[in-house]
Amino acid sequence: MILAHVTQFRVPSRPAAASLPVAVEATSDHELMIAVRAGEIRRLGELFERYHKPLYGFFVRLTNQPSVGEDLVQIVFYRILKYRHTYRDEGKFSAWIYHLARKVAADHFRKHAATPTPTDPADLVEQPAAEPQPSEQAATAEDVVLLRSALARLPLEHREVLVLSRLQHLEHKEIAKLLDCSVGAVKVRAHRALKELREVYFKIRKEKAA
Amino acid sequence: MNCSRVQDSFIDYQDGALPADESASLRAHLASCPTCQREWAALQEMTRRLDALPVAEPGPRLRENFYAMLETHQREADAPSPFALARGRLDRFFAALLPAQPALQFAFALALLLGGLFAGRHYLAQPAAVPDDGAKAELAALKAQVNSMGQLVTYSLLQQQSTSDRLKTVLTAMDLKSPDRKVLTDLVGALAFDPSINVRLSAVEALAQHADDSLVRAGVLSALPRERAPLVQVAMIELLTDARDRSAAPVFEKLSRDEATDRNVRDAARRALAVLRLPVEPASVPSATLRPSVKPALT
Repeated sequence: MILAHVTQFRVPSRPAAASLPVAVEATSDHELMIAVRAGEIRRLGELFERYHKPLYGFFVRLTNQPSVGEDLVQIVFYRILKYRHTYRDEGKFSAWIYHLARKVAADHFRKHAATPTPTDPADLVEQPAAEPQPSEQAATAEDVVLLRSALARLPLEHREVLVLSRLQHLEHKEIAKLLDCSVGAVKVRAHRALKELREVYFKIRKEKAA
Repeated sequence: MNCSRVQDSFIDYQDGALPADESASLRAHLASCPTCQREWAALQEMTRRLDALPVAEPGPRLRENFYAMLETHQREADAPSPFALARGRLDRFFAALLPAQPALQFAFALALLLGGLFAGRHYLAQPAAVPDDGAKAELAALKAQVNSMGQLVTYSLLQQQSTSDRLKTVLTAMDLKSPDRKVLTDLVGALAFDPSINVRLSAVEALAQHADDSLVRAGVLSALPRERAPLVQVAMIELLTDARDRSAAPVFEKLSRDEATDRNVRDAARRALAVLRLPVEPASVPSATLRPSVKPALT
């Protein structure tokens, strides 16, 4: 039965990623940020520990340049310190930090408009291959390289929505707020992006095979 | 459910965000539609691949840099700025200067207010004084000065015209049978102030027709001592003599004795004095003899 086979493959939408901050913490992101705003600068360290890895992943996937990712994360936290007084009482920290991150990324792309994101898989060889996930669908190293270059070929807005929803695990509602559009539009964009990613992925595989 | 609606719901179904009834109808459609089955399988596959993408790990440099930056900012936040220090010092200075208790503060404010009122009464009490007689006289003098100033302005305006224009004006006035006061005043003004001898001479001639007017005589008489051109002086003396104006005698007397005056003028003044002293009617006195034979050239 094809159907049974297909439906059993249903991927859990929220894989518990180790890098994600666990919701039940002694102090919430919001409380920490309020403290930072009030002058307890060092408490930003806790927020850094919670967010720097997801942010780094966001930037690396968006730019496809690991070294650039570190710089951009640093810039985000610098801006948090610089603009900490603008953090609002009713704000949501994760939304705010991704808002800043998107701006930082936009600045980066504007500055480096002349140099396109590297799409050649050879560029990515220097990146150490991470340990394969201990799941039964563990991707091979080749698969990872293929997928990365396919991702890099997507237009920025499609790449961004995929990174935010599938890799950063933001809710569609949050992404809609971040991108300033409706939740429906986010879903449509995510669906289209996935389809496009698939097409590009198979195209690259074909090219390599040839 | 048609195919496009089903495929639009895939994302929600994948997230488990689809309501139970819709999920059921979606599953029912999938069971019967090979196209949507392929579509769903492809979506699942790509999602799985994407989720399996290894999480990139930042290097240790990132953490080091971040904590270094954090320390810098914390120190900046802890260290009070020099401005705040100065302000604190200033605040303390004023706090030491002023009373701390509300009652004393109130008394202090009241004392300040009373002091201000007293000072105001003491220094600003004199209202604008009623002008006394001296001030009145001064005011009148000022008024007269302003009036004469106005006249001077009129004359200087008159002088802005060319000599021939002014001459024309005077000659026009001469033709008038009964000129009003204003014209006569203008003529006397021209006689007194015009820089051109010809204009002044013409003015004398024009005024000669109205010598019976006391205003004209007074004007000519007052202009005479200031006149420097012998021709005009003689013409003026002649005018006053013909009008038999006895009040001119002292001026003639002075002229006839003034060594600085032209000889012809002194002679004319002496003769005029003689005429004025005659008790008889002056009609017989030939005025032509007083008139110089040579006319000045037009300047």
